[in-house]
Amino acid sequence: MKHRTRTALALAGCVAVLAACSTEDPNASGGGGGGGGEGDVETGNGVTDDTITVGMLTDLSGPFAAGAAIQVTQTQAYYDQVNEDGGICGRDVEVQVQDHGYDPQRAVTLYRSMAPEVVALQQVLGGPTSAAVLPLAEADGLYLGGHGWAGVALQYENAQIPGTTYAIESANAIDYLVDELGLSEGAKVGVVYFVGDYGSDSLAGAQYAAGERGLEVVPQEITPRDTDLSAQASALQQAGVSAVILGAAPGQLASLAGVLAAQGLDVPIIGNTPTFGPSLLETPAGPALEQNFYTVTSIAPYSLDEPGVQAARELYEAAAPDGELGWEVPLATAQAELLSAALEGACEAGDLTPEGVVAAMRETSDLDTEGLYATPLDYTEVTEPPTRTVYVSRASADAEGGLEVLGTFEGPSAQSYTVG
Amino acid sequence: MTYLLTQLANGLSYGLILGLIAVGFVIVFTSTGVLNFAHGSVLLAGAYLVAVLHDPIGFWAAAVVGIAGAALLAVLINAVLVRNLAEANPGTAAILMLGVDILLLTELTRRIGNRVLTIGSPWGADVFSFGGITLPMSRVIAAGLAIVVFALLWFLFARTGTGIAMRAAAADGDTASLMGIRLSRTGAAGWALAGALAAIAGIFLASFPAPGVAPTLAISAFAAIPAWVLGGFDSVVGAIVGGLIIGVVTALAVGYESELHFLGRGLGEVVPYAVMILVLLVRPSGLFGRKEAVRV
Repeated sequence: MKHRTRTALALAGCVAVLAACSTEDPNASGGGGGGGGEGDVETGNGVTDDTITVGMLTDLSGPFAAGAAIQVTQTQAYYDQVNEDGGICGRDVEVQVQDHGYDPQRAVTLYRSMAPEVVALQQVLGGPTSAAVLPLAEADGLYLGGHGWAGVALQYENAQIPGTTYAIESANAIDYLVDELGLSEGAKVGVVYFVGDYGSDSLAGAQYAAGERGLEVVPQEITPRDTDLSAQASALQQAGVSAVILGAAPGQLASLAGVLAAQGLDVPIIGNTPTFGPSLLETPAGPALEQNFYTVTSIAPYSLDEPGVQAARELYEAAAPDGELGWEVPLATAQAELLSAALEGACEAGDLTPEGVVAAMRETSDLDTEGLYATPLDYTEVTEPPTRTVYVSRASADAEGGLEVLGTFEGPSAQSYTVG
Repeated sequence: MTYLLTQLANGLSYGLILGLIAVGFVIVFTSTGVLNFAHGSVLLAGAYLVAVLHDPIGFWAAAVVGIAGAALLAVLINAVLVRNLAEANPGTAAILMLGVDILLLTELTRRIGNRVLTIGSPWGADVFSFGGITLPMSRVIAAGLAIVVFALLWFLFARTGTGIAMRAAAADGDTASLMGIRLSRTGAAGWALAGALAAIAGIFLASFPAPGVAPTLAISAFAAIPAWVLGGFDSVVGAIVGGLIIGVVTALAVGYESELHFLGRGLGEVVPYAVMILVLLVRPSGLFGRKEAVRV
């Protein structure tokens, strides 16, 4: 027994020594070598003379594995290109990827081990996982991006939301129904949503906009486990809705569209960004989707004919010739461009430390993404979304990635919605 | 009135599918004493086989392969893992099954990716209308098939040697063993049956109005757990009745949510468990459960 205790103590000692080394090392080399790299740039965690390390905490084994893998591929391809073109601040950008499997506990553990080695987190994918990591990253003054569009993230100074919030997407959806699809005052709109920071945010925006525009919301709460929405669809039909807004995932969209069509309820269905996947068009619900489905997204759909999106497509098709197509491709490029802009800004300001990157991100105003987003982005105000404009698209089997863009849109209630 | 009938028909047809899954839980439990938490991923595996094979070999052949494949997978789990446990303790086996479930589910998730695989059934998105009630054709077929399957199960357990041996083994394994019944065989038969039933349920759970085979299908199987428990844990009839109760109550709770809004939103998610708890308060051994299971 005594022997075992001694071994354990010795092991613990070794671990402590190793840990001490690993936290001191980057500081030592960064602090000492910073002056030699590029001008007089101050550096900290994750930056050496020749490399900048950024982290991705993503879901490679959980429910969002496939979409997450597209984003990892595209992010890697983006930085490979950046490095070929001379890197950022005279250094190559290296991406460290870890898999949290959509488990908040694991995300926190991985964050703890990754934080001292990176200058910024390119992505923490997932609602509950990013919610767990955001406060920690804020305390550490570490940049965090690619966490989805939940409105709650806007309160964090270190978080760079990749577009507008779900609430503003849904407020735009209501405005679009009234202004473009001719819904009249007093009409009812069903909102089918996942409870949580995604769907509930979507519901909040729809409810606000419905109040502004004189519509009535019929809410239907669901969970990711519900893949047969027959009962919900019957209830919506019974309530007499003239349109449906969906804050859920592709499985729920296919079921809802299919059942509504089977019931003969021919009304528009407008989805938030994560509701659509191109493979849905091959399911029995495909024709119903092409007939009635719209989506409101701040990120451009895959097929949009703008230089930024085109470049993203070319990069992706070279990196993954047989890869699945989807809005994740422009999104990953956009997220990498956002962080790159912050890194460049930090370099110019001579402060390439984690805090310097956050400060540079908050200086970002009027950032043009060549069509990846509908408008230039402004991150100077912490609680304000960087844009309130969305792309409105329709499902189409002829378009690459399954979505055909109708145009950009920013309605009055989306403009007046206050976050938080 | 039509609305009520539509929701009832929805609930009954869904309840029969839940019954298929719950019966699988019961058969595995009575034949080998295992709480089979890997049931959901066996179901997903069966449905996955049908989804990938229906294109090359046609739907019916794919369905046969899927059902046989799920049965074989279940038998293998029993033969390789459960029977080799040093201690036949229900707790250990349950945790082992949770582990198997995670492994199978991770692999299937990886294979499926972010695609929604269609099941390729000939009835597709057809709808059945009768007297103002509309119901997806797949649900009507599922309900009919489930009733046939339950009748066959009754025949198996009441009239065939294998079925009677399985019942004897379930009632008292030691005595049955002394009478010359080989528990390894009745166990394997039980797991095979459960796997096949799960695959049948999986095919219909992945048919319209659901979008197709996606990893969440494995979680849908857990909706049958309240049905299994309130039916009495070890009763096949209880599992079927439990499935029907849970199906109907869920459909009504969702359908009349706007009238029940004082209970909050998202009622459909909670109601199965609330009903289960209510039933257990009145009848601690479930609706059809054996009293002995509680006294021990």
